[in-house]
Amino acid sequence: MSLNSSSITQADVAPKQPLLRLDAVGKTFGTHVVLEDIDLSLAAGEVVAIIGPSGSGKSTLLRCINQLEPPTTGRVTIGDTTIEAGHTPTRRELMVLRRSIGMVFQSFNLFPHLTVLRNVSLAQERVMGRTREQADAVSMQLLARVGLADKAQQFPSRCSGGQQQRIAIARALALDPQIMLFDEPTSALDPELGLEVLSVMRELAEGGMTMIVVTHEMRFAENVSDRVIIMADGRIVEQGPSGTVMRNPQTERAQRFLHAVKDR
Amino acid sequence: MNDLVDFWLEHLPAMLDGLMVSVQVTGVSLAIGVPLGLLLALAVQSRSKPMRGIAIVVVEVGRGAPALILLQFTYFGLPNAGLSLDSFSSAVIALAWCTGAYTSEIIRAGLEAVPHGQKEAAEAIGLNHLDALRYVILPQALRVSVPALLGFSILMLQASSLCFAIALPELVSQAYLIGSTTFRYMPILVLAGLLYAAICIPATIAVSALERKLGAHA
Repeated sequence: MSLNSSSITQADVAPKQPLLRLDAVGKTFGTHVVLEDIDLSLAAGEVVAIIGPSGSGKSTLLRCINQLEPPTTGRVTIGDTTIEAGHTPTRRELMVLRRSIGMVFQSFNLFPHLTVLRNVSLAQERVMGRTREQADAVSMQLLARVGLADKAQQFPSRCSGGQQQRIAIARALALDPQIMLFDEPTSALDPELGLEVLSVMRELAEGGMTMIVVTHEMRFAENVSDRVIIMADGRIVEQGPSGTVMRNPQTERAQRFLHAVKDR
Repeated sequence: MNDLVDFWLEHLPAMLDGLMVSVQVTGVSLAIGVPLGLLLALAVQSRSKPMRGIAIVVVEVGRGAPALILLQFTYFGLPNAGLSLDSFSSAVIALAWCTGAYTSEIIRAGLEAVPHGQKEAAEAIGLNHLDALRYVILPQALRVSVPALLGFSILMLQASSLCFAIALPELVSQAYLIGSTTFRYMPILVLAGLLYAAICIPATIAVSALERKLGAHA
């Protein structure tokens, strides 16, 4: 049963082996069920937007993928590493996972005591074993890519919210991840600043990066992503090619949600 | 007045020797006690129950017992258990314990002041637990703790005067000794107080200046 829901989309988008696969992933906090029976598979280069009302479990789903929030049931497979719920992942498994997956948070979470350059270089040195010179050189390229090379020596507090989020994207890219997770990357930004973040994300998507984006930006979901997943009450209520889902949702719950967000 | 100044000048070398001992015992106690406080702060938050239990006992005894009791316990009590220490070592053990207990609470508050998102960001970029602590969490936590730690250090210099009770030749002991041979307790204790103040008042001013400076960047 877990294969049924995902096999359609896999056939649609990519015949090859999925880069990331979730099988029956669930998460409960005490007796409170936050996620239930999530199946999802993602092919290389695919961009998936996850939308849905607040509290529907979107962010928890992202956090379960990179084990910031260990799932209580199910399996997460990335490449040939599988992490089963219920047993604590080994250091090696976690390392594979964290290196393959970059994450961008709603509240940026840059390290305030480090310069912008050090923020981007730190993990390259500590995790990838690059020297400081190598790491800084890569960081400068990444900062240039998000248009912020001139901020390298500043501290994050001297940058605008939009700039901070772009730096956070550069920091996540520094480990050459195969997948990027975005947890409402523009929700803490005013619309204008959000735009500069969205345009960086759009460039990433066009460059072939595999991405999962939890977002309230409906236009981004419709135009940039290949696939849209609508969640409600901890479940996937509808998913499919973005144009179809956004314009012609089939389930009542999805219709209700899209109706509500489009009406404003 | 001249008489007083002559008296002070006559005994100043001995008093300065005493002050040196006070500063030394405080310095060594802090050098051991503050890192101990850091370890205790981390142990109190540890996932391992026995570790947490031990840390809580060490902290609560260190905070709950008066420093004078700790001093007398290490100097007069431990020999009963077969461990005899000179007064300097006893003083250092007792004061380092006291320092560790109090600073662990200061550092714990600093650790708790670091937003949870910082830890998550560190994890998400693949840092292991130790690296996350070393490069992300501790620098921020200690920055918050520094003014309180320095304030506590000043208090410890004053608390080191309790070591006169275990015959450590620090400032107050010296003052007592001079008092008992000259019978002029009043002026010599005033000099002792002035010497403490000469260190503590400027240090307090420096700490609050530093506090303002750190606050400005937060």
